[in-house]
Amino acid sequence: MSAATEGATRVYRRPMPSGWWTRRAHYFWYIVREFTALPMAVWLLWFLVEIQRAQNGPKGYYPHSSTGFVIFSVIVLLFALYHSVTFLSLAGVILHFRVLDRPIPSRLIVLSQFGLWLVASAVVAFVLVYFGR
Amino acid sequence: MPDKKITVRATRFDPDKDEKPHVQSYEIPFPDDSMVVLDALNYIKAHVDGSLSYRWSCRMGICGSCGMMVDGVPKLTCNAFLRDYWPRPVTVEPLNNFPIVRDLVIDMDDFMHKLKSVKPWIIRKQEMPLGAGEHRQTNEQIDEFRQFSQCINCMLCYAACPVYGLDDKFLGPAATALARRYNLDSRDQGLKQRLPMVADPDGVWECSFVGECSVVCPKGVDPAKAIQQTKLDTTMRFVLPYGNRE
Repeated sequence: MSAATEGATRVYRRPMPSGWWTRRAHYFWYIVREFTALPMAVWLLWFLVEIQRAQNGPKGYYPHSSTGFVIFSVIVLLFALYHSVTFLSLAGVILHFRVLDRPIPSRLIVLSQFGLWLVASAVVAFVLVYFGR
Repeated sequence: MPDKKITVRATRFDPDKDEKPHVQSYEIPFPDDSMVVLDALNYIKAHVDGSLSYRWSCRMGICGSCGMMVDGVPKLTCNAFLRDYWPRPVTVEPLNNFPIVRDLVIDMDDFMHKLKSVKPWIIRKQEMPLGAGEHRQTNEQIDEFRQFSQCINCMLCYAACPVYGLDDKFLGPAATALARRYNLDSRDQGLKQRLPMVADPDGVWECSFVGECSVVCPKGVDPAKAIQQTKLDTTMRFVLPYGNRE
């Protein structure tokens, strides 16, 4: 904390403590939500390296299957799911549409986001399984 | 329980004497379950220590004057019941993220400046003469902005916002909610005058959607929603060919 003089009135400014995010559960989960992007970015960089390694086709390519990599991937998957759920849940706050001059309820917007997510996941899974055979 | 008491731990700061704030404890009678934190402060001022300074006015959750940190949470002290804290001591501090003027009184100049900067009033390109009649609105048009008009400028949202706490250049929740309230008003034509403030990097784009501003609002306003929707609208104005409309 520090004291400061502003004009004729002396005021006291309290600096933000570095542990502000531990003050309330809401702050903590906000930091978790933001932090999940970091391991996801690391995993995606690793994924790019794997794509580069596979540029010569299936011959001579052996994907990582070490226990450490599998555990890391599972943890990143959980982070990705948490990030996706929180992001899509907030869509109802952000998006606002009107149909026939009536606003669409935010719950419907959120449900539609989760529906689109499921469809997109199914399409990606189909592409991976069908073309990966 | 005839002699029920509660301990109030209040922040004290005298700018003429103290280098930094300190906490002072007061044990006061708590005879009535309907007592609120503001009642406790008024008791202390009337019967124990008349030098304790704090703001209050209406005592009914309308004026927005008595906002303080109650056990670390921004609250209107007229709406924070002692029974929710008893038998533990209740800690009362000035609102976070604002400079302290004295005891529980904060300096609200920054907020007032930001509030004025978004021009929270109806702007018309050309005023209609009074004789021309009212600016009539449908219920649907009022519903567009109704919740944002409930803001009482209590600044609890600023005290809850870590983004404002880390960078006080941020326009902040209440000012943005009020800007949106007028931008959504069918009678208003001042959108382009408010955009330089709300669409600035220190405006809505500084917000990282913590969302605590909406949690602590005592009037059910959702400033986080106002900010995120303003982000979307300003992006659409930039991206879409017809977006730069009034």
